[in-house]
Amino acid sequence: MDPSGIFPTSYRSDRRIIRTRWQVLALVLFMALLLLAPYLVSGRIIAILNMMMISAVIAVGLQICTGYAGQINLGQAAFMGVGAYTASILASKTGLTFLLTIPLAGLSAALFGFLFGLTAARIKGFYLALTTIAAQFLFHFAVLNLPSTWMGGSNGITVPPAELFGLRFVGETAQFYMNFAVTAIMVAGAFGIVRSRFGRAFVAVRDDDVAAGIMGINVAATKANAFLIGAFYAGVGGALWAYLIRFVGVDQFTLFHSIFFVAMIIVGGMGSIVGALVGVFIIRIIQEIIATVGPNIADSVSFLGGDIVFAGMNVVLGGVIALFMILEPKGLMHRWNIMKSSYRIWPFPY
Amino acid sequence: MVYFINDIITGALIGLLYSLVAMGFVVIYRASKVFNFAQGELVIIGGFIVWFTTMQAGLSLWLSIPLSLVLAGLVGYAIERIFLTKLIGESVFSMVMVTVGLLILLRGLVLLVFGPAVRPFPIIFPLKPLFLGDMLIPMNLLMGGIITIVAAVGLSWFFNRTRSGLRMTAVAEDHVVASSMGISVKGSIAFAWVLGAILSTIGAMIFLSGKSLTFLASDIGFAALPVALFAGLESIGGLILAGVIIGIAQSLTTNYLDPLIGGSLGSVVPYIIMLAILLIRPTGLFGWRTIERV
Repeated sequence: MDPSGIFPTSYRSDRRIIRTRWQVLALVLFMALLLLAPYLVSGRIIAILNMMMISAVIAVGLQICTGYAGQINLGQAAFMGVGAYTASILASKTGLTFLLTIPLAGLSAALFGFLFGLTAARIKGFYLALTTIAAQFLFHFAVLNLPSTWMGGSNGITVPPAELFGLRFVGETAQFYMNFAVTAIMVAGAFGIVRSRFGRAFVAVRDDDVAAGIMGINVAATKANAFLIGAFYAGVGGALWAYLIRFVGVDQFTLFHSIFFVAMIIVGGMGSIVGALVGVFIIRIIQEIIATVGPNIADSVSFLGGDIVFAGMNVVLGGVIALFMILEPKGLMHRWNIMKSSYRIWPFPY
Repeated sequence: MVYFINDIITGALIGLLYSLVAMGFVVIYRASKVFNFAQGELVIIGGFIVWFTTMQAGLSLWLSIPLSLVLAGLVGYAIERIFLTKLIGESVFSMVMVTVGLLILLRGLVLLVFGPAVRPFPIIFPLKPLFLGDMLIPMNLLMGGIITIVAAVGLSWFFNRTRSGLRMTAVAEDHVVASSMGISVKGSIAFAWVLGAILSTIGAMIFLSGKSLTFLASDIGFAALPVALFAGLESIGGLILAGVIIGIAQSLTTNYLDPLIGGSLGSVVPYIIMLAILLIRPTGLFGWRTIERV
């Protein structure tokens, strides 16, 4: 909702993403702060920010697929894994530059996602959501059972560092800038997609697919597209992940990781790109807290050992998902918008 | 040839075990329109309840089995009360997402409470297999298969023929319409979850009898998922056929194809069958074909 006095006078101005001068200022400040972050905060925080940006790319993709197009996707981690494996195989075997491997990783993940989205032509609703779980299992099967010279089997693959004109992206700070650039492009692209023709088709299909079909939208193609775009984002995020960790293994891409991404968009708010970013921020902070506090608790309750971080994460995130679904199914962004508009029209109720 | 027939029989019996776990999915879906992703976790909780009452509390089997089923029912009821009652009237999406949350919540809780340790599971069915000529049939699976068929026939009759079963079917059709016709949606969903938890516990007893129990046993939930979808989420009787087909296919793949290709194709075969059948018949073998109106 716009502040009073701001009325879009043309279709163009109605579609604008940045609508007021304050928003310009806020955006510039936010980007500047992020860019200067390596000079302002310690390496630990930069590592967390790296993690957040990669998760942001993947969660934004999931937001488009689930939040905008309404297709429940429980295979986002598998799509991410396809991207990560593509990037690491290309980088370690052919030595391609990351400028090519990252988009190619996105494309291969998109193809994989599209295959499962194609089933949308026949399968509807939850049956479709359940085929994404099949994607998760097929991915694991493929990695573990194909000849280990192809995908490393259970040993995983070591990834060479990203390199550009002899400049190696090693260390958290260098990778921070690489991740920042890719994340900025991907998030900006997401804003473009959701207000384009495709994005509006997504929303129409989410709200009522039969009605959308009657209006002339190709429902099956739209659903398949949603999976394609969501998986593309996951693939790009997976490639960034591969370059950051410098090692990929099949255990990094399980159903539980998929559910963590679902948790991010539920907390932030369905159907909002900013919401996905907010969700990533909050969930990653929770994860950091658990990862820091967990081992201390593990020392006192010794029988759990290293599983306490994983277990604690599951309990907290599962609780968070259930809590949000019961109390605020539209997520924090919705709550924030309500607050904003009630502040604006105060003292009138509406 | 004897081995071949033996593989088929064992596969069919394992398939029936999958059917029993899948029955948990279907019962909950048939009475509440919620697809419960946390089914495998219910199995593992049932397993831990049985372990607790026999190994820990030291009760005899005749006492501990009914007690475990009652306790499991209570757990199901508690889950429904805490998480799902508040969501009646919300979108189905919300309810399904809550069960996704439950999946990881319960997994974490089981890990926190019981830890990753491996525990012995009581021997509920005799360990000695049944010998039929040269063939060897595990006793727990055989008894389990009989229980599954009895349960499927009983529940099928209940949902399709009795008054209260048909009421629940109406709830699965539409919450708002059902409640405006005077049907207690709350009661129906509560019943579904109690029944789902009890079926999962029976599944755990058959699956784990005489084996060891860890939190990883919950994977049977995802092994049973293709059976539920293959049969169609609304059909209880169809589960038997679907389970037998998938079980035999899996057993034959594991025993004859896997040595050739040197992998574990057997574990994904159910999913491949499921995807194939869903592409041909989107509602599974026996699922309802719903007509949508705008």
